[in-house]
Amino acid sequence: MNHAAAAPAGSLGPELSGEAVRAHWRLAWLSTVDHKRIGILYLLFAFLFFVIGGLEALFIRLQLAVPNNTLVGPDTFNALFTMHGTTMIFLVAMPALFGLANYFVPLMIGARDMAFPRLNALSVWLIPLGAALLHFSIFTGMPKVGWFAYAPLSETPYNPELGVEYWILALIVLGIGSVATAVNLIATVLCLRAPGMTLRRVPLFVWINFVNSFIVVFALPVLNAGLVMLLLDRQFGTSFFLDREGGSAVLWQHIFWAFGHPEVYILALPAFAIVSEVVPVFSRKPIFGYEFVALSSVAIALLSFAVWAHHMFTIGLGRAADTFFVIASMLIAIPTGVKVLNWTATMFRGRIRLTVAMKYAIAFVIQFTLGGLSGVTHASAALDWQTKNSYYLVAHFHYVAVGGVVFAVLAGLEYWFPKISGRMLSERLGNWTFWLMTVGFNATFGIQHVLGFVGMPRRVYTYPDFTHWGWMNLVSTVGACLMAAAGLVLAYNLLRSLRRGTSAGDNPWQGWTLEWATSSPPPAHNFVALPPLRSRRPLWDSAHPEQPDPPVGPSGPLLIPDRGKTSVWTLIASEAAFFGTLLFAFIYLNLSPHSGREAAFSLDLKMTGIFSLFLFSSSFTLWRAEAAEARGHRAGTLGWLGLTIGLGVVFLAGQAMEYVLLYREGAVLQSKLFWSSFYLVTGFHGFHVFAGLIALLIVFGLIAGGRFAGRRSPLVAIGLYWHFVDIVWVFVLATVYFLPRFL
Amino acid sequence: MNLNRLLLEGWSANPWVLGGCSVFTLLFARAFGTRARWRWLIAALAVVVLALLSPLAALADGVLFSAHMTQHILLLLIAPGLLLLALPRAFTLRVAHPLARRLPLLGWAAGIGAMWFWHAPALCNAAAVSGPVRALQTLSLLALGTLFWWPILAPAERDRLLPGHGVAYLFTACLGCSALGMILTLTPVEICSVYQAPLAASQPWADFRGLFSAQHDRQIGGLLMWIPMCSVYVAAIMLELSRWHGAPAAAEELSS
Amino acid sequence: MNGESGSIFSPASPAAHAISDLFSITLWICAAIFAIVAGLVGYSLVRYRWREGVGEPAQVSGHFKLEIVWTVIPFAIVLLLFVLTLPAMEVADPPAPPEPDLIVIGHQWWWEIRSPKLGYITANEIHIPVGVPVSIRLDTADVLHEFWVPRLTRKLTTVPGASNHLSLQADEPGIYQGVCSEFCGTQHAWMRFEVIAESPAEFETWVQHQRQAAPPPPTADAARGQQLFREMTCVNCHAIKGVGGDSNAGPDLTHLGSRRFLGAGLMPNTPENLRLWLTDPPAVKPGVLMPNFKLTDEQLNHLLAYLETLQ
Repeated sequence: MNHAAAAPAGSLGPELSGEAVRAHWRLAWLSTVDHKRIGILYLLFAFLFFVIGGLEALFIRLQLAVPNNTLVGPDTFNALFTMHGTTMIFLVAMPALFGLANYFVPLMIGARDMAFPRLNALSVWLIPLGAALLHFSIFTGMPKVGWFAYAPLSETPYNPELGVEYWILALIVLGIGSVATAVNLIATVLCLRAPGMTLRRVPLFVWINFVNSFIVVFALPVLNAGLVMLLLDRQFGTSFFLDREGGSAVLWQHIFWAFGHPEVYILALPAFAIVSEVVPVFSRKPIFGYEFVALSSVAIALLSFAVWAHHMFTIGLGRAADTFFVIASMLIAIPTGVKVLNWTATMFRGRIRLTVAMKYAIAFVIQFTLGGLSGVTHASAALDWQTKNSYYLVAHFHYVAVGGVVFAVLAGLEYWFPKISGRMLSERLGNWTFWLMTVGFNATFGIQHVLGFVGMPRRVYTYPDFTHWGWMNLVSTVGACLMAAAGLVLAYNLLRSLRRGTSAGDNPWQGWTLEWATSSPPPAHNFVALPPLRSRRPLWDSAHPEQPDPPVGPSGPLLIPDRGKTSVWTLIASEAAFFGTLLFAFIYLNLSPHSGREAAFSLDLKMTGIFSLFLFSSSFTLWRAEAAEARGHRAGTLGWLGLTIGLGVVFLAGQAMEYVLLYREGAVLQSKLFWSSFYLVTGFHGFHVFAGLIALLIVFGLIAGGRFAGRRSPLVAIGLYWHFVDIVWVFVLATVYFLPRFL
Repeated sequence: MNLNRLLLEGWSANPWVLGGCSVFTLLFARAFGTRARWRWLIAALAVVVLALLSPLAALADGVLFSAHMTQHILLLLIAPGLLLLALPRAFTLRVAHPLARRLPLLGWAAGIGAMWFWHAPALCNAAAVSGPVRALQTLSLLALGTLFWWPILAPAERDRLLPGHGVAYLFTACLGCSALGMILTLTPVEICSVYQAPLAASQPWADFRGLFSAQHDRQIGGLLMWIPMCSVYVAAIMLELSRWHGAPAAAEELSS
Repeated sequence: MNGESGSIFSPASPAAHAISDLFSITLWICAAIFAIVAGLVGYSLVRYRWREGVGEPAQVSGHFKLEIVWTVIPFAIVLLLFVLTLPAMEVADPPAPPEPDLIVIGHQWWWEIRSPKLGYITANEIHIPVGVPVSIRLDTADVLHEFWVPRLTRKLTTVPGASNHLSLQADEPGIYQGVCSEFCGTQHAWMRFEVIAESPAEFETWVQHQRQAAPPPPTADAARGQQLFREMTCVNCHAIKGVGGDSNAGPDLTHLGSRRFLGAGLMPNTPENLRLWLTDPPAVKPGVLMPNFKLTDEQLNHLLAYLETLQ
């Protein structure tokens, strides 16, 4: 995609002269692979969709301003909150946070760009593609199923319109883009650090985004697996989530929240990352307890995967499960609390400069603490049994998502806008925005806690005229209008400062991290020269040679892993999460007595065994090809590689034959849950083998064409992927072909 | 169900266990003497006693699946870890064999494999009814657990994985155990039918079966394997990273 | 609907009491934590402001023991909250008896209430005797719904193919608001119900009345209405005991007149509102599964005359 756009631009690249850029600025932005421009694109998309999602929110609040209101009808309202949730999470929060990470992670580690600039461009352009898919549903009937799309409401019998399909496709596209960004960020942090930038010295913004990328890598594929199953249900007549054939609505919730809860931290951790930069600089002190902030992020990332069932306390998982997930969920409060206390301790005995950025950061700390504490009340199952799905919950997650994430992004915007644009924002207008936003936000959502206590459920398009309900909702709506006003002032401030803001200089805030060691905006190549790196605050050391920070660790040469292998390992991790979800779903579904799993006995194990052998031996031949290449033996490499491709083709042919035979016997995708899940798992594996074959064919062609004469080809990296696909087949064989015989 | 009686009388004095522990302690003392970190060894032995001789063991004996699972976690995950911590600081394996470099792979497979292997229905039941199989199970859990923890908790830095690899090692192990835990918790699958079978009249703690319904008992077993076990791995990951941050010079990078 | 909605902090059952007490304790603990954080931030803001000409502060970068302390203390608080939660869970989630007193079935967008033991079927109105725990099995006819009576009991989802159980009890006579709290489609907002707790004697009277079949139509108009009920496909979805229909796609109408509301809380059950409803259901409750039958005025009058006899 980026290529197509880049082709007519010809020689346009980051290094071309200023004149050429001006002449072709539109093409330059379309075809850019510069992490800074891509970062800005992310932020622009986020802002655009923030306006759209914000208008949706405004209409939601206007409809709820008074009881029994009829401003919008029920279906419109339901579409509005579905779009609002989806937009704010996938098209606003994630792009905004990714945008900041894209712009500043390479700068902070002294790199020239991201590890894979073209992949980076692909990721950013997947956002408008996903957004277009989502909004195309305007023409087909908008999705009215909530951003969580609980089955069976999201299934065809209850929502036949194509809006849900567009919603699914949009999320798959955005999910793939997010995983690509995460892979890119991980490879960037591991492989592109400047000399001296050890992992123990990276700014917390880098470390936390690095950790966060792993959550993205593991969580998004889980959602994509679920979405694919939902799409099969809707378009191809399977019943994974429909009760009628033994499918399970609860399974959808497991899959959705196994993604959905980590997603909360995918949004929260980068917000922590921003605040961990802003608070120290404006307190004129280093972050208190760097190691503890860094490690607590890892703890949060890990725990986030083990607590999803607290979203399901009211679905009847049983007391045992509820009890365990109470304590597991509460545990997350500890590393989060450690962070809050460290930010507070950073301010303590500092010299607090109350800039607008700092105000946002402080409001973040206060509001996020409130959101976190109401989160603890949700972790307690007994309380959750009362407050779940009430406005108390709406208040809670908006305190985290708006009072936390949005305020952190605004802090980051105020803090880094001078670096990005070279111009200062107006503090006066900034203060207006801040106070409108803070008062508006707390008015909108503070009172919703009480609405929850008095029994107002969420996602209702209107409500009866109970005592107090009317005025409390009106307060909430007025607050939302104040927030909208804040948005207008912010937009004006941004535009105004782009035209006539005062010049920022390199380091307007006396920051300490490397992004302040270059001009504002930074040149295409980012740095002319880097200051010496001995501690976590290189610019402090330069400014205060009389009392530099104590050095962190020795300054030997860095151990930099191979970029290709790093990215393939990360990709493998995400693929493993995808297949793990599919296999879990397979087992879950086939334990139902209605699954028809006895059909597993009709599978021809002998035939499967034979074509499996072909696949397994292809791993061996590929290993030989790698060895031959290591010895510089080109003919040997090509021979073994050709053999590998041949073996892979035989495997695929075997699988195709199996499918044809089964089809003749009437075992099709829709026939029984066993067959649906059988085709789901084996089909996706076959698809991955196919993709691996394409990659191997390309490498084969390139090696044959002498492209890598004297250099190592990416064979080893692609080989990793091929071996992984083979290992997945071992698990598929065990789970799909053998396990059902023993159940 | 008399909890007091269980706590007082549920202890057993299995000579094999007591003998084994004594012999092991003697050997340990001979080998390392005062260089050993005895506090950790005492903790390890206490965990073994808790797992094999305490009222917990009495309940694991065919009464409650959840007790059985607790026993497994103690033997596979807790006791071996404490044992490795009891080794002298300078202790290292002087093995030059190329296989030693593959030890982490082996350890990982041992840790996950032990959990899955002993919960194949036939083996789970066999271990619950047959003395020799149970002894084999106990010993193998301790041995495989030691193998699993070696790349993380070995006293000498050179025997340990780099922190980044250690994190991946522990995280994937956590996933491996969680998978089994999830299946036990969220699906109606039955792997140890012994815990459903009627109890012999001679079983003194039979009435404790009524503590949980069969479904709850199985779910608790699965959840133990999922949440507390993962907490141990997460704690180990935290330990691994804090060691990295605390390291003065070596292990500068997470991985290579 | 208007009046008091009731709050989870005015509990009227042992389960709701347990939760409300736990909530109060938890909120106090949370308030204390919040006060500490906000206090520290506020103090720093007042005490440690930057001023022109003042140098950089001491560059303190951490304190190991302090970190350990503020890791351990939250851990202790979390454990405390966990321990406090357990008894509340015990009270609010009692074990299910083998046979439920009531079966409540969520429909898009109304509640069906069946009493297998006492032999009556009704909709959107649950009558219970005061002070007695009533066990309920929750089912659904279509999608996920969620049963919630803030003053009386926890919320619990209705799951296709998997029944859930809860216990309902009211310590005081009165009317308690209930609502579907899981998004279930177009009219999720109007899927309300009421729990009416009565003295045992009143409850007994109510049950006796509900068990009766519909009386024969007293007037000619009503008789014509009853005939229309059979002929106009009403019976395909609605049942009237003693008259016909065995589908539960729509609410049972045997004692329609005895209910307080129409359309699951949408409007009071008055003859005018019933006329409004029958004239064009989707106009009153957009999305409702009952179509507009385009009844003539005469048909409407007859049907209403009959339905008014179903007290």
